[in-house]
Amino acid sequence: MEDIDNIEEDECGFSRNYFLAKELSGSSKRSARKLSDINIVDEQELRETACNIETKHEKEISELLNEYKTMYPKWVFELRCGFGLLMYGFGSKKGLIEDFASSSLTEYSVVVINGYLPSVNLKQVLLAIAELLSEMLKSRRKSSGSLAKGQETFPSRSIDDILSFLHGSQSEDKDCFVCVVVHNIDGPAIRDPESQQTLAQLASCSHIRIIASIDHVNAPLLWDKKMVHKQFNWLWHHVPTFAPYKVEGVFFPLVLAQGSTAQTAKTAAIVLQSLTPNAQNVFKILAEYQLSHPDEDGMPTEDLYSASRERFFVSSQVTLNSHLTEFKDHELVKTKRNSDGQECLSIPLSSDALRQLLLDLNQ
Amino acid sequence: MAPSTTVADPQPSSTTDSFDSNAAAENDIRIPKLFSLCAAFDTCLVFFVAAIFVLHKASPGSKSTATVKSKRRIESPSPKIAKKSEIESAEEEDGQFFSTLRLRVFETVWSKIDKTIQDVLRDSNSKVFSGIRDWICESFESIRSSGALSLSEAVRSYPVLSQPSSKQLFTALVLTSKNLEMVDDLLTFEDLGLHLKSQGCHVAKLSSMDFSAKNGVGGCLRGLLRQFVMPTVDVADVTILASWYRESGNHKNPVVIIVDDTERCSGSVLSEFILLLSEWAVKVPIFLIMGVSTAHDAPRKILSANALQRLCATKFTLSSPAERMDAVLEAVFLKPCSGFTVSHKVALFMRSYFLCQDGTLTSFVKTLKIACLQHFSLEPLSIMLEHFCQDNQLPGEGTGLLTEATMKHAFDLPSVTRNKITRSTCEMLPQFLLDLQRMPNPWSIVVLCIYEAGKFDKLRLLDVFCETLDPEARYLKYFSPSSILNSQSNVSGRNSVIRRILRKLRKHASRSNSKLEKELKAMTDKISAVIEFMLREYMKPVETVPFNEILCFKNVDKLQSALLGDPRGRIQSDLLESHSILNCLCCSQRGTTLLPSMHDTSILYALAQEHADVINLHDWYQSFKTILIPRNSKAKSKSKTTSKSKKRKERCEEPEPPAEASIQAVMELQIAGLIRMPSKRRPDFVQRVAFKQEDQFIRQDQ
Repeated sequence: MEDIDNIEEDECGFSRNYFLAKELSGSSKRSARKLSDINIVDEQELRETACNIETKHEKEISELLNEYKTMYPKWVFELRCGFGLLMYGFGSKKGLIEDFASSSLTEYSVVVINGYLPSVNLKQVLLAIAELLSEMLKSRRKSSGSLAKGQETFPSRSIDDILSFLHGSQSEDKDCFVCVVVHNIDGPAIRDPESQQTLAQLASCSHIRIIASIDHVNAPLLWDKKMVHKQFNWLWHHVPTFAPYKVEGVFFPLVLAQGSTAQTAKTAAIVLQSLTPNAQNVFKILAEYQLSHPDEDGMPTEDLYSASRERFFVSSQVTLNSHLTEFKDHELVKTKRNSDGQECLSIPLSSDALRQLLLDLNQ
Repeated sequence: MAPSTTVADPQPSSTTDSFDSNAAAENDIRIPKLFSLCAAFDTCLVFFVAAIFVLHKASPGSKSTATVKSKRRIESPSPKIAKKSEIESAEEEDGQFFSTLRLRVFETVWSKIDKTIQDVLRDSNSKVFSGIRDWICESFESIRSSGALSLSEAVRSYPVLSQPSSKQLFTALVLTSKNLEMVDDLLTFEDLGLHLKSQGCHVAKLSSMDFSAKNGVGGCLRGLLRQFVMPTVDVADVTILASWYRESGNHKNPVVIIVDDTERCSGSVLSEFILLLSEWAVKVPIFLIMGVSTAHDAPRKILSANALQRLCATKFTLSSPAERMDAVLEAVFLKPCSGFTVSHKVALFMRSYFLCQDGTLTSFVKTLKIACLQHFSLEPLSIMLEHFCQDNQLPGEGTGLLTEATMKHAFDLPSVTRNKITRSTCEMLPQFLLDLQRMPNPWSIVVLCIYEAGKFDKLRLLDVFCETLDPEARYLKYFSPSSILNSQSNVSGRNSVIRRILRKLRKHASRSNSKLEKELKAMTDKISAVIEFMLREYMKPVETVPFNEILCFKNVDKLQSALLGDPRGRIQSDLLESHSILNCLCCSQRGTTLLPSMHDTSILYALAQEHADVINLHDWYQSFKTILIPRNSKAKSKSKTTSKSKKRKERCEEPEPPAEASIQAVMELQIAGLIRMPSKRRPDFVQRVAFKQEDQFIRQDQ
């Protein structure tokens, strides 16, 4: 009964604070000061210097990590008992987990997935694991004297096939498994339900153990009960490290950097430079039109076509359309209809940024 | 959006290379070190590309040496290690032996518990299972009697339609625990599948994953064919199913398809699938078993009217989680099973977790498994459970398990020192252990008696179990006639289940006193006397017995933190109380003021508490700066002057020191999900998304 009371109290606390905060925002006037009042510099520079910030409390942090080292044998024991380890707490846990894996899991193969990267491809992950596992099982079989199966090739198979291979492969030795380290299992690239399902299915294989870290406070919402209790079989470990999130943060947009103008103009320039000269020239026509007609909704598509054709940048509507598709895909150009119902093209950049972009392109 | 396009798209080809070549793998191991050396951002980029790599491969043959080596490495001089108990350091020496032994004992104990649970669940379902089997047999017979098809007729590309009723699809709706997660019943349906298979049915199991809108009806048909015909089928053609069914004797048995989580399936795909199967029902008599976990009319909500018409449904109901829970509890803790048991506090935690938070048996079993695991990893003597478990002879001095260190540990156990047992009574040890082994038996009989007596009151075994484990309970007081007055004043026993039962018994006794039958009175008196005797004699909660630590798990905090991570609360408290985790002297005496020596993110988050639900970035940054500047004022005065001089950026200008720190800190808060990015509409504000309970700043502001 006490527990119920506690839980209710907790919830009251949370909701009370939420409403207090809301009330506060209503009563006191919001500060109207602008972010641009702060003297901020280019994002690239900020990121570079952010790499060099001295970490405070380095001594304490390393002591904290040393303390966690005493828990390594317990963690290995838990893995061997069939659980998955889920590390949470503030601070980058990348170093901690990799140290654990390379010092205490030497007798098992370890695959590392950097979940914070936007480029994680789960099929490749599964492929790598399947290859490792089949290699491992083969060596076990050889040592136990029974016949090894023929060479198995995975690359051509689908995710389901690889998963069913992983599920199907059995070995009497229960203590033979591949450890999969997933840094940031709540990372942006694998946050979607499908990836999580795949990971959960992977985790439920008898020869796979997962060691994962989460950083987001709402990460548990990614999983339902089946995944938590049956598949991932998590054991939670609260291991705050206070280590700086250096690699994890690279793909986060920076709030305090003066993102808008410099950033988008630069990305636009990079995209444009990779296009053909004709496409660049078409873009320039559009940009110049927009600069000279700041009050209009944009340049009508027909006008752009005739202007480009006059200067021999495009030969037909089809070529222009292919250029435009390219621009739209990279969000360099937006279309809308003006008051006359004509389709108009505009570049979603400020005049300053546009001028800068034209300068960059002409260099 | 990725900050710059150079970072955004690492080529997939490079990732494949990186996990294949050993050289790349070796490079990758050094990443953490290299990062700290990397000054320039672009240098780091080289390493970001590897989204996946093999850290190392298992070293075959090095199994024993490797762990010993790694353990040695761990023995660096750190304060925690010095605190290690003697037994643990002794274990370290022949660590491999002990950890393997522990693992083995854990596996023995857990497999025993696990098997017991599975058996209990199977028993609890057996009635429903046999009901389903009978229903299938009967319906199948009726189909066959209505006229079996000849082979030539059956493999024609179009099904033969003799009567309208032949389009009916026999369906069993298996109602599971209402409004609870499916998770408990996954195993049930697996068992059902096995059960029906053993009865000769052709069984296929499809789940909501097969009935996804993405794969369409082809996906589930393919899944079906893969299970029935052969695993490599890649076409979705129902004629394959029909011809398979007519092959070599397959047609003598019914085909059963189990869909365990009906509510999660895509309604349109499931409807289409049902229509398809019903068209072919005359050729392939299919029985559909659908698990329904919300309400019995759930199929009506999901399926189209057309599909519903084709169903000929029968209902079956499974037992409730609470009933199963009691059965599991009885089998695991109250009947001779593994010997492993839990303390009063742990039992209370498990009960409240089951009743208040989760409500599924699965999570209860997982809790039990974690408790068991932690028992073995925390208590060195737990390996003796092996002997309890197998009813073997108890270990004597000669088994080699009882080393000097173990003995010392054993006699330092709280339950031993509490009972004033010392090393001098060492020869009594086998006796104590024997008592420990025998003790649970009469105790559990008494618990079951109380449960039986309480059944009329709809008592749950879970409640009785929790209460009887309480080492501080005083049942007998309530039972003695003088106690009634006292007991009412006793607040702690307010909800006592056992007291309630005893009172009821007393009431019966007193009522019969006023009434006619002497015999009845004599009988109730006898019963009371017996119960009183039993309680007095045998009701010894396990925690009061010497050496109970061997089989009783007590550490409720560890269990709770391993089972229920609380990232939302813990990450916030990490930030707000960073000094207590880092144990640094500089920040621990700060009181409520923020010191520049604190962790940057900590300062920034503490400052965020002063704001309402949205934070003005400018103000936030300025207050952050005022806290940090004193520290930097001496060293970095130069950069301050430059920043004052001009507002707009110059490429060569150095950013202010707090700027870079705050950039990092804001990003870290973003990673932790504690703030939301500024939107286009409100570019100068970030939003707070988490509100902590101990939000004192806000209260002060009030």
